[in-house]
Amino acid sequence: MKRYIMNTKYIWLLAIFLSFSACNDESDFIDEEEVELPTFTTGSANFSKYVALGASFTAGYTDGALFKAAQENSFPNTLSKIFINVSGGTFTQPLMADNTGAMATNGNVVVPYRLVFNGSGPQRLNDFYADLGAPAPTITTDPTVNLGNTFNNVGVPGAKSFHVTFPGYGTLNPYFGRMATSASATMLGDAASQNPTFFTLSELGGNDVLSYATSGGTGVDQTGNPNAAEYGANDITDSGLFGAVLNGIVAQLTTNGAKGVVTNVPYITTLPHFTTVPNNALVLDAATAANLTGFYQAVAGIFTQVLIGQGADPADAQVLAAQYAISFNEGANRFLIDVPVTATNPLGFRQMTEKELLLLTIDQDALASGYGSAVITPEVLQVLGKLQQGGTPTQEEGALVLGAVSGIDDYNALDTDELSAIKEATDAYNATIASVATENDLALVDLNAILQQAATTGIKFGDFTLTTNLVTGGLVSLDGIHLTARGYGAMANEFLKAIDATYGSNFVASGNVANAYDYPTNYSATLQ
Amino acid sequence: MRKLILFSFLICGALGFSQTTIKGKVVDQDDQPVPSANVVIVGKAEGTVADFDGNFVLTTSETPPFKLKITSIGYAEAVIDVIANNQNLTVKLEETTSILDEVVISASRTPERIFESPVTVERFGLKEIKNTASADFYDGLENLKGVDINTNSLTFKSINTRGFASFGNNRFMQLVDGMDNSAPALNFPLGNLVGMIETDVLSVELLPGAASALYGANAFNGILFMRSKSPFDFTGLSGYVKRGITSQKEAGDNPYTDFGIRAAHKFSDKFAGKVNFGVLTGTDWFATNYDDKNMSGGSRETNLDYDGVNVYGDNARANIKDVALALESMSILPAGANALVPSAFVSRTGYAERDLTDYKAESVKADWGLYYRPWENDFEIAYVGKVGTGSTIYQGAQRYAIDDFSMQQHKMEIKNDNFFIRGYINSDDAGNSYVMDVAGPNLLAAWKPHSTWFGEYTGAYVQATLGGATDAQAHAVARQTAETGRLEPGTPEFQNAFDAVTSDTSFLTGSKFRDNSKIYHADANYNFSHLTDFAEIQVGGSYRTYKLNSYGTIYTDAESSIPYSEIGMYTQIQKTVLEKLKLTGSLRYDKSELFDGFFSPRISAGYTIGEEGNHNIRASYQTGFRNPNTQDLYIGLETALGTLIGGADDNGDRYVRDYGISQFAQNNLGQPASVSQAASAAYNNSMAASIATGLASHNPANNGSEFIGNPDDIKPEQVTSFEVGYRGKIKKLIVDFSAYYNTYNDFIANESVVSTYYGNVSNFDLTGYDPQNPASAAGLNQDTRLILSALQNNDYAKYQTYTNASAEVNSYGGAIAVTTKVLGNFDLGANYTFSDFNFDKEANPDFRPSFNTPMHKVKATFGNVDLFNNFGFNVAWRWSDVYLWESSFGDGVVPSYHVVDAQISYRVPSLKSSFKLGATNLLGDEYASAFGTGNIGSMYYLSWTINNL
Repeated sequence: MKRYIMNTKYIWLLAIFLSFSACNDESDFIDEEEVELPTFTTGSANFSKYVALGASFTAGYTDGALFKAAQENSFPNTLSKIFINVSGGTFTQPLMADNTGAMATNGNVVVPYRLVFNGSGPQRLNDFYADLGAPAPTITTDPTVNLGNTFNNVGVPGAKSFHVTFPGYGTLNPYFGRMATSASATMLGDAASQNPTFFTLSELGGNDVLSYATSGGTGVDQTGNPNAAEYGANDITDSGLFGAVLNGIVAQLTTNGAKGVVTNVPYITTLPHFTTVPNNALVLDAATAANLTGFYQAVAGIFTQVLIGQGADPADAQVLAAQYAISFNEGANRFLIDVPVTATNPLGFRQMTEKELLLLTIDQDALASGYGSAVITPEVLQVLGKLQQGGTPTQEEGALVLGAVSGIDDYNALDTDELSAIKEATDAYNATIASVATENDLALVDLNAILQQAATTGIKFGDFTLTTNLVTGGLVSLDGIHLTARGYGAMANEFLKAIDATYGSNFVASGNVANAYDYPTNYSATLQ
Repeated sequence: MRKLILFSFLICGALGFSQTTIKGKVVDQDDQPVPSANVVIVGKAEGTVADFDGNFVLTTSETPPFKLKITSIGYAEAVIDVIANNQNLTVKLEETTSILDEVVISASRTPERIFESPVTVERFGLKEIKNTASADFYDGLENLKGVDINTNSLTFKSINTRGFASFGNNRFMQLVDGMDNSAPALNFPLGNLVGMIETDVLSVELLPGAASALYGANAFNGILFMRSKSPFDFTGLSGYVKRGITSQKEAGDNPYTDFGIRAAHKFSDKFAGKVNFGVLTGTDWFATNYDDKNMSGGSRETNLDYDGVNVYGDNARANIKDVALALESMSILPAGANALVPSAFVSRTGYAERDLTDYKAESVKADWGLYYRPWENDFEIAYVGKVGTGSTIYQGAQRYAIDDFSMQQHKMEIKNDNFFIRGYINSDDAGNSYVMDVAGPNLLAAWKPHSTWFGEYTGAYVQATLGGATDAQAHAVARQTAETGRLEPGTPEFQNAFDAVTSDTSFLTGSKFRDNSKIYHADANYNFSHLTDFAEIQVGGSYRTYKLNSYGTIYTDAESSIPYSEIGMYTQIQKTVLEKLKLTGSLRYDKSELFDGFFSPRISAGYTIGEEGNHNIRASYQTGFRNPNTQDLYIGLETALGTLIGGADDNGDRYVRDYGISQFAQNNLGQPASVSQAASAAYNNSMAASIATGLASHNPANNGSEFIGNPDDIKPEQVTSFEVGYRGKIKKLIVDFSAYYNTYNDFIANESVVSTYYGNVSNFDLTGYDPQNPASAAGLNQDTRLILSALQNNDYAKYQTYTNASAEVNSYGGAIAVTTKVLGNFDLGANYTFSDFNFDKEANPDFRPSFNTPMHKVKATFGNVDLFNNFGFNVAWRWSDVYLWESSFGDGVVPSYHVVDAQISYRVPSLKSSFKLGATNLLGDEYASAFGTGNIGSMYYLSWTINNL
């Protein structure tokens, strides 16, 4: 009996040592700070065959060019990578052969090199290399070589709305030429023939106002004329034509029940191409301002005399000429622009108003030497001196002074009328787009609102706040119009947001989105 | 009792005329002397007491033959026949198996059998000290049930009982010969850094529960009670030398030497003195935890905002978007370029701790005492001085490299068996100590100011981005650019900068802390037991003055030192009823000049049952108060988790710092470039730190008052403790069990708050704010909007306040220990400790209780003092469960671990020597006893102890 007690006693001791399997785990103490994201819900759309139809944004055009690396970061490509998680299929793009952005045929450069940031501003890659005394990388993309395939990404830089349905557009646009399935193919046909289950129809209508804007409004506002055959390259497309084309495209793309996303057209004049050079960049010191004011008083005085000489009533002449006695102040002053000669503005120039814009392409060196204010030569100064002495200039001397007036040429600026033409056309397109989207149950990305937000408060993309500043804003690439890779990433997320809202998926909530950190803003000059 | 016998003997002896003299020696089974054994003549009230060498001389009128009964606590009694006059006897006493008979003093401030102690008490006696498998006796305490040792350093370990401790255990007291050996600067004991050498230790007792009733506020969660050997009783030279190596993966194998010597001399029965001296040198455990405090699983490579646990300087961080805004305002970056920069925090590249310390571990301690017994009796006047200096690592709110720290204690004491009165001074000098967490960033700043570094970083980031870099590439280029010219450890440039920073006492540029704080303490006790029969009554009191003098490096005493005082009084009545029920009642009154006074009562009962009186059950109830300690009251110290700011009402206004305001707020909110904020803002204009995460789930219908910080000024903490226990002998098995339940009210804890640089919290009202709709913030009042903006812009100072939790905190636990002899005379012991606490963290998300104690601990020892012929061994095994470490230095998981220590010993009586060959952490699995400290490796040592058999 005693023996037995002894044994059990030790067993009990052992039990103490061995019975601690139910102890704590390290994980009991680790605070999982990461928030559990909801699981992914596909919603009602089928992403198995995705086709992107559009223009330069769809293509991935950036830094004034299209090139391989940029295409990899196109928003349709980004979307396709996210769609892979929801049984999306492969997504093909008509990749350029290199990263020069240029195209050449038989040694002739038909499309220029991309822009790079040279430390102070955008510069064409070949010029950048030339400044370094180095040869530019060889151009290996030949637009006459057809890729012989269809591609999910039917994004063609430069395409206007009616180009999408224009047979043989490939012969006019090398970007489509190299991917068109035949010489007479249409962009829409090449897209629709792939039987997409899901499509994006992006920035249709953009180029319909853009070329007008980038030409400084030198084209014609064709509103009211639906005959595209009569259009010049820089004309504004009639919104009626636009509506007809859009309806036709959507009808064809949705024939098989495909779902899709459309975007509207932003007010392109808020892009840095139009906002970077301020219209009041005429910065003067007090003496120069006084001199310029004096000069324009002389102009008004001389023109009064000219009018009187032409028989005008002196009082009327003085009133009419007084508009040219423009005064300049120390500091920032608005430039002068040329406007059509009218009875009320017989000299055809005036000072710019607050909202009027200068284009990025303006020659800034010329602005510094009098372009937009007055080109005052020594001879002009002599005449002015004579005037100051109380002398009366000769007719030739008067002409010399009037000739020194330098207004900014139309193609360098957008005046009030041009701006309103662009806005009205854009508003008309957007109204159509909104109704087409509603009628066809398509998701709509309000690119217009997004760009306006970017231009004012900036838009959040991950930890970045992207703005529309040229070079430093992170959203718009070096050409001032097209987006950076990061911008396209943000755009992809806007598409996902719209898809979630329309088709009941939860891409955004479940974290299936583009990550800002994966997208650069610039491409290296050394990228081959 | 013993005195009574002695007394009666003297009287009888004086009257007798026919005398018999017997000489003898009392020894144990190993022929070692048994001191102080009682020798009485059977059947007579006559006898004597053996001296400390076991010798006794008995002169009696009795004529042989008669019998002598020899008894001593811990030994079985022996009866010897005396058959002739002048007989020379050797009495061999057999050690009883029972440790229950050991005498403890601490539990009731009077000697009593541990068996009958009214509260849980652990004793670590001479036998345990000699046989511990740990590297020294202090480490050996770890094998006791309910005890954790937090290893700061090779030379600085701190004891944790019943939880709520970090390395500086403010709820635990350590008395060495009645002196509290807290460092005045820190207000907690520095382990054995300024303690005792092994051969001077008489006994170590540990009360793991509230002992406030007798020992005052600091003994709130326990007390370690160490006594040294009196030079009247233990004379001569003794000492030890221990050499070996410490072995750690990161530090490698390093030599380790521990040497101690004790010299005591009894000049006469009136006068004796002793001197102790000890030196320990070694290399500390390297702390190389490079885990990221900011991101789980992060590293310097994967997290831009990496903040390594043992990497310092990487707590200097900035949001590079705001840096970009600042660079824009200075026209270094073009306007708008901040759009290219993410709103992301980036930290500087810090220095690893091993580059900021040499990890020298050193402890040199000496003490001396002069003892005078004018009447050759128990009345004694003593002066004791102690000095310790050393180099160690202390982990408090930060990691301190303690270099050439020294502490002095001087005590005068007058006592006899019934009373003592003593006074002592503790003073410390921080020497060349410095704060490594502060040295890191300031070393970086000395090389390249933070603003320059982050400016270069951000500028390079923008340039790289525009040059076509991806975000990751741009960060790499940015760091490389900013790091150009970094001072590399090992170079003379680094050393010069390091020397400059560690000898500069301004924490804005340097890292050296100064301290010359002092504690003045007096206490007295009178035991009336010799005067009263009906009960044993004691009264006592204490008075203490602190003089904090850290020159602003720890406390807010930059302008002048901070003095304050506390006084305490207590009484205790102990009565045994019917020889079986022992009742003890204690009452203590404490008053700090800063707070209202309070009473701490304790009542306890012990009841002995069983036919042989082998079972004792005990129960106690006590209330303890803890005055906020010096740090709780007056600290003002910037740390990684925020500025620690003590809760005394006048404290915060003495800590004023200038803070830079974000460029965003300067540009958009009309705020100045910098603001001067007094840390009192933490108490009167602060938001709860939880607003950072809580805001996202705010309900617009609520006013958000739960996000307001403004903690109350600190006040005393209160514990109510119930404890039950059982001690007893079941056959050969000795069982000791205890369980406790503590309820803390006004629990003193850190509350994390943030004080924004702009916005008045008194107007804070979130009603109508919908986190899903940020635009709804526009409807809030101006101050609320400013506060939300400031939080958004990181325009706030973080504080760790010291305040009282409004919620009740409960801790509870139990421990059971069993010891027995097996297989003959092998000692086998095992114990298990359970500890847990509950606290409504959900309702009080900003409170950090810092329980810091594993839920389960299991320990066992197995040994034999005399396996064969003077040869013994001991093996100790410990297992500790995984637990969460919370401290102002950082929070982290302490993984579970097994440790095995072992020693074999050999005694050579002819040389009066014993040799011990030992190893700690024999398995070699490195473990950490806390978060942030070096992993503890293994030690292998050989020691030689002489004259301490």
